[in-house]
Amino acid sequence: MNGREQAVEPGETVARLLDRLGLGGRFALVERNGEPVERDRYAEVELASGDRLVVARPVAGG
Amino acid sequence: MDDTLTIAARSFRSRLILGTGKYETFELMRAAIEASGTELVTVAVRRIDFDEPGEDITSFLTEDILLLPNTSGCETAEEAVRMAKLARAGGLPDWIKLEVIPDPRYLLPDPVETLKAAETLVADGFTVLPYMLPDPVLAKKLEEAGCATVMPLAAPIGTGRGLKLRDSIRIMIEQAEVPVVVDAGLGAPSHAAEALELGADAVLVNTAIARADDPVAMARSFRLAVEAGRTARLAGIMEEKETAVPSSPVGGTV
Repeated sequence: MNGREQAVEPGETVARLLDRLGLGGRFALVERNGEPVERDRYAEVELASGDRLVVARPVAGG
Repeated sequence: MDDTLTIAARSFRSRLILGTGKYETFELMRAAIEASGTELVTVAVRRIDFDEPGEDITSFLTEDILLLPNTSGCETAEEAVRMAKLARAGGLPDWIKLEVIPDPRYLLPDPVETLKAAETLVADGFTVLPYMLPDPVLAKKLEEAGCATVMPLAAPIGTGRGLKLRDSIRIMIEQAEVPVVVDAGLGAPSHAAEALELGADAVLVNTAIARADDPVAMARSFRLAVEAGRTARLAGIMEEKETAVPSSPVGGTV
């Protein structure tokens, strides 16, 4: 995840992982294995060992 | 006066678009946004640093202001398309300020990659607002590709040098059938007024406001300048003349 190892629980969804990392209430943008994940699917998409995740967010910019 | 800016069928009362970068604090940014009267602000997209997540910018922005994610940091069309899709999937609007910038010294956009990305993103349903050098031919191609605006730079990003590329922007304005938004390089409210007087539909300002000693007062100044420039444009600006024309009666001197 963002280039570093992150343990996931069996069957853990994107939404659960974000919650566990304290990012549940925040605006998080997620890409899994190079494909963007739709926000309304965060609670469905289950993570597997070896998945590559990018978690991004809106920041200040021009 | 009912004079609204329309971009992709959405109407805006304000012709001032703000960047959210470079403010000392998000509180100051929020106050400047409010003082500016803007209804459209840009945000960048970056990876979360899990060790230092910082504050969430969206919690400082009100619902009535449309977020315009940008593709800053992208050097190719492929990277820009990927970032735009990530932003939209995660719940940001499907509007995108397209920036494809391979050059770190002058931050000038790559016209070939920008056009390529614009074509892909328009086909995928995005409302695309491309940042570009003021090239009237490229502007036409971006317009034909389905872009919602064209956004020429006045001068390089963050330089505050004003309308250095004025003549090219003037030709773009003359020919454009989509709104022309002058983006980048405006340093003073007078530069913004000049852009609107020239016929630009809107301006996008970041550094000049965010880095002012008093960003809130500067935001208000830009708001007034944009209103002045637009009102003057609609009022009809007099033509320049080579020689003097008296304002007082020529006869009857005592």
